Amino acid sequence: MLPEVKMRALNDLVQKSSKEELIWINGYLSALVMNGLSKEGSTVNIIPKKFTILYGTDTGNSKKLAIEFSALGKKESAKIKVAAMDTYKVDDLVNENNLCIIMSTHGDGDPPPSAKKFFDQLMAKEFSLSKLEFSILALGDSSYPYFCKAGEDVHHRLTALGGKAILPIQKCDVDYEADAVYWFKNYLKSFKTESTNDVEGAIKKVGSSKKIYTGTIKTNVNLNGRGSNKRTHHIEIKTTEPVIYESGDALGILPKNKKPVLEEIFEIVKIDPNLSIPYKGESHTLIRLLTNKLNINYLKESQVQKYSTLCDQKIPNVKMDLYDLVRIYPIKPLEFVEFISYLNDMTPRLYSVCSSPNARENEVHILVGKNAFRVDEDKRYGLCSDMLCDLDENGILEFYIHKNKSFRLPSEDTNIILIGPGTGMAPMRSFIEERDNTGATGKNWLFFGEQHFISDFFYQTEIQQYAATGLLNKVDLAWSRENSKKTYVQHKMLEHSQEFYDWIKNGAHIFVSGTRSPMSEDVEKAIVEIIYKHSGKSAPESEEYWNELKESGIYKADVY
Amino acid sequence: MSINTITMAINLSPAEKIKTKSDGLRGSLTESLTDHLTGALREDDQTLIKHHGMYQQDDRDLREERSQKKLEWLYSFMIRLRLPGGFLTAQQWIEMHHIAGEHSTGVIKITTRQTIQLHGILKSHLKPTLKAFAKERLDSIAACGDVNRNVTCAAHPLQSKLHEEVFKYADKISSLALPKTNAYYEIWLDREPLLKKEAEIDPLYQDRYLPRKFKIAIAIPPNNDVDVFTNDIGLIAIIENDQLKGFNIAIGGGLGTTHGNKETYPRLGTVIGFTDAEEKTLKVIYEIITTQRDFGNRSDRKNARLKYTIDKMGIENFKKEVENRCGFHLEKPKEYTFNDRSDYFGWQQNHEGKWYYTVFIENGRIADEKVSIKTALYEIAQTKKTNFRFTANQKLIIADILPADKNEVESILNKYGLIEHTEKAMPMRRNAIACVALNTCPLALAEGQRYLPTLIGKIEPLLEKYHLQNDPISIRMTGCPNGCGRPYVAEIGLIGTSYGHYNLHLGGDRLGLRLNQKSFDAVDESTILTILDKLLAAYASVKNKFDSFGDFIHEHQELLTSIN
Ligand code: SRM
Ligand SMILES: Cc1cc2nc3c(=O)[nH]c(=O)nc-3n(C[C@H](O)[C@H](O)[C@H](O)COP(=O)(O)OP(=O)(O)OC[C@H]3O[C@@H](n4cnc5c(N)ncnc54)[C@H](O)[C@@H]3O)c2cc1C
Ligand SMILES: Cc1cc2nc3c(=O)[nH]c(=O)nc-3n(C[C@H](O)[C@H](O)[C@H](O)COP(=O)(O)O)c2cc1C
Ligand code: SF4
Repeated sequence: MLPEVKMRALNDLVQKSSKEELIWINGYLSALVMNGLSKEGSTVNIIPKKFTILYGTDTGNSKKLAIEFSALGKKESAKIKVAAMDTYKVDDLVNENNLCIIMSTHGDGDPPPSAKKFFDQLMAKEFSLSKLEFSILALGDSSYPYFCKAGEDVHHRLTALGGKAILPIQKCDVDYEADAVYWFKNYLKSFKTESTNDVEGAIKKVGSSKKIYTGTIKTNVNLNGRGSNKRTHHIEIKTTEPVIYESGDALGILPKNKKPVLEEIFEIVKIDPNLSIPYKGESHTLIRLLTNKLNINYLKESQVQKYSTLCDQKIPNVKMDLYDLVRIYPIKPLEFVEFISYLNDMTPRLYSVCSSPNARENEVHILVGKNAFRVDEDKRYGLCSDMLCDLDENGILEFYIHKNKSFRLPSEDTNIILIGPGTGMAPMRSFIEERDNTGATGKNWLFFGEQHFISDFFYQTEIQQYAATGLLNKVDLAWSRENSKKTYVQHKMLEHSQEFYDWIKNGAHIFVSGTRSPMSEDVEKAIVEIIYKHSGKSAPESEEYWNELKESGIYKADVY
Repeated sequence: MSINTITMAINLSPAEKIKTKSDGLRGSLTESLTDHLTGALREDDQTLIKHHGMYQQDDRDLREERSQKKLEWLYSFMIRLRLPGGFLTAQQWIEMHHIAGEHSTGVIKITTRQTIQLHGILKSHLKPTLKAFAKERLDSIAACGDVNRNVTCAAHPLQSKLHEEVFKYADKISSLALPKTNAYYEIWLDREPLLKKEAEIDPLYQDRYLPRKFKIAIAIPPNNDVDVFTNDIGLIAIIENDQLKGFNIAIGGGLGTTHGNKETYPRLGTVIGFTDAEEKTLKVIYEIITTQRDFGNRSDRKNARLKYTIDKMGIENFKKEVENRCGFHLEKPKEYTFNDRSDYFGWQQNHEGKWYYTVFIENGRIADEKVSIKTALYEIAQTKKTNFRFTANQKLIIADILPADKNEVESILNKYGLIEHTEKAMPMRRNAIACVALNTCPLALAEGQRYLPTLIGKIEPLLEKYHLQNDPISIRMTGCPNGCGRPYVAEIGLIGTSYGHYNLHLGGDRLGLRLNQKSFDAVDESTILTILDKLLAAYASVKNKFDSFGDFIHEHQELLTSIN
């Protein structure tokens, strides 16, 4: 009865779990089903209660939960208002009596971009929330150094402003669904008239069941032709077991720090790389620790200042690499070792999968743009993208699957518009392969853009094939450096605005991937303009209409 | 229509169908040009575009690399101008210089038919390029394809007071044999279609054009710089006491062959007669073309050139057919002599006192490489005090310089070292010809212009060893047997068989009056050098007895067998 992907996932989980864990899962699931699905759920005699669910999301998980929860709560005949942080006014917090917050953490321990305004104002504003009762469900990913940090920050801030947490903060890892629902049940129970003492606290984590795959590099080729300003590698990874993912997901990869750089650091500091150092209860050699576990690049200002006190020299209040620090500001071995404890864990990088699970067995592809930037005069490359581009064929790579539940193909007969300039092409290739493989009947319209036609047309020969076979009904290309006036995908959309509008009217879903700013913003502006141009609506109405469409879930963005 | 044209009609070659259903060479070119997923044209349009003077090519060096990158081959286009007699004004040169820089690889290539080719033009740049040329009254109509190609004409004005008069014929013939379709103007220059379609009716080409390419050259004795006998029609100007009397007419020249195809062979033109007045000459040319149109082989392109038509019909029958169509008979050929085929390098002055400087340009590639030829010529053009002429030997003449302006031009030539470059090159190198071949020519089996200079560099020491450095032995190389560098009429002909290997042809004369013979099969560089070392040694020892190395070999075939 389960679809293959889920079945595989289940089997996989079962195999990987200890006996105890299985028993726990068993009881846990049955509890879930009882409470969740049965009408009896409402026998938990609670007094109807009024509260607000406030969510902050980027990739849509928190929002999904918010909606799921309000449905659940309404079954318990509670009056529930659902609000999103991007539109919510911080001042309105004073009018809230009971607030259920669901929010994720992004970037490097930051709030989701859409919640940033709310977050910053909350942190800055001085006002009393003494009559506010709240509970926070924080979504996160334990493979990031700042696990659920944004949620924690909000939790602390609200407490500081006089708010009362009726439940301890619940941090959820990527496999959050079960924990989240369980937590919400307790949240509802907390409304019993009697004192909330019988309310269970948060679940202790069973440990993230995130699976780490080991793959070997089958192909690693720079897709950019000669004369291009870019380096963008198409990387094919083979695995010995099936990789469980769906089109729209991304690979999570932990970069390693470069050996030569580390060796130079040890050389300069005059310290033994094999010195063993305690880390999270185990002991590691310095070299292993710095290679695999800790981030030594672009250290936060606070860390740099810590270093400055340790080496007892004045250092400007900027971000810096450890390498540059030890080079310019000599430090003694002992202080260096101490400084190690202030380093953060390595942050995983995500790369959208660009292959379809149904098209290929035991294989997954990614498209990696070699990230280049300047530090003063010398050109440097991003840690992870550089590492990936340098991988030799048959080299080994560890990765996990970062699910992106709200970046999924719609029903097979729905038309889709794919907008993926630059590396944004990655998920689009996956979707196209998927639709080709499943023989989906919906129409497909692809927008791609880069600098030059001859050198930067990613997957050109494949796209030509798909266009020839009719799978791609329309393809529009935007080249920004072909002539004096720069053409981007949004210009191409506007060029075909009438048709674009018709597709939207007929229920097409729109996918966007690539850089968040300015690309994805310009694309949305263009869509609103198209609506305004052809719907006969006023500018504000068009804006309104677009927001409704987004609410309805036809717009799916995976931007960075 | 004769029997054989009917029987041939039974299995027409694919190209024939493409031409006839092309609606005046339009085909689906407009669609091809707007297909933005590819830099290439649709299959059939690739044939049609040749008639507009362009070839679709791709960078063969990059094929594998690009396939790996999931990129299509690096398609681009070569544009060949229609330049009867090979002449540009200073203003036109300046534009050419800019167009080459903006739209092509930047290299300006002088061809063996006195015109200019630009390479590496992307599909999206074709229209801008042709529009820019049009501004300077330049076009590429019929520079390629199954039509009459660029008409070549003796390049050196100083050859005769009458050069100007003869030169005009190149233009007249070119216009006479220009396709009538308006397609070029509509597709490339965005001009309106003609109001009256009838204006496009083409009595010469009809809707099927010729069975194959067609070439016409005009020579002014005593110089055969145009290699008049390698053309479908060769006109030899007959001049008696400073009067242009008319032309001897030679027909059936052509060099292209195919390895291993016995049915293909090089052939030198046969002189069939003489015509005096202009309209007679043009009439004969016209009817030779119509005869080839009607009798030429349209099922096998490898046997479609005029030379094969003539050999099938027999020269006399062919001549009769032409005379019938003309309604008059050809006169007996007149006497003429050729004593040279090379360019007059350096300074020359004509009868009016105008000055000419012929620059040595290796294989006709004008670029800023060892010597900054391109910049130098641009600077000279900017003086607006010269014209530019191209020779069929891929060289360039800075022309029509008034005595008063000579110093100015000379100082620019010196500034960029062009005079030294021209003077210090050995005669063999100066007269050498190599075709384009790799990396653009799709038919190339071996290197041409990219390699001959190196090879000559290794032959020069041999020449010095035998004190032959001033002997203008003609050496010509092509990357395949099509013969674009006319290697079949060289003293030393090198014809590519596979990468690094060439058939060595020997025994041709120095004037283009006798074909050479294939003497060694698919030999590599070291073998070529050993063979030449032996033969040059033998030649040097008896040099004074022979007019040329080619003649020497011709007389001593036994030497060739003794080697091996
Ligand atoms: C540019 C030039 C060689 C050069 O380095 O100067 C040239 C270049 C090419 N010739 Fe040629 N031919 C050139 C003079 C010749 C000559 C010499 C002449 O005409 O004086 C010949 C031998 C004479 C003759 O026509 O027999 C010649 C016989 C051919 C042939 C063989 C024709 C035949 O009858 O077999 C081909 C192949 C074909 O037509 O199928 C050919 C085809 C080609 C093409 C277009 C290859 C192709 O068909 O795709 C070459 C383009 C290469 C490139 O990348 O530029 N080219 N070609 C010459 C341009 C002349 C012009 O301005 O019109
Ligand atoms: C959902 C999602 C999907 C993604 N999909 C893809 C994809 O399909 N393809 C793809 O190529 N990328 C994708 N990315 C981006 C990718 O995850 C990485 O962010 C990107 O590769 C850069 O990582 P890096 O380790 O190479 O660079 P980093 O080392 O992390 O550096 C990143 C930036 O930090 C700054 N920086 C770092 N060190 C210094 C310094 N010493 N001084 C000054 N500035 C510095 C620079 O601006 C640099 O550009 C995706 C991201 C997300 C969130
Ligand atoms: C680019 C990116 C950065 C992230 N950074 C963190 C982080 O620093 N800490 C953390 O706990 N989770 C981090 N996560 C994990 C998300 O919080 C997790 O995927 C969550 O389910 C997303 O919820 P949402 O869809 O409501 O935004 C990150 C996710 C992404 C895509
Ligand atoms: S001779 Fe052959 S290789 Fe050389 S240009 Fe002509 S067709 Fe190309």
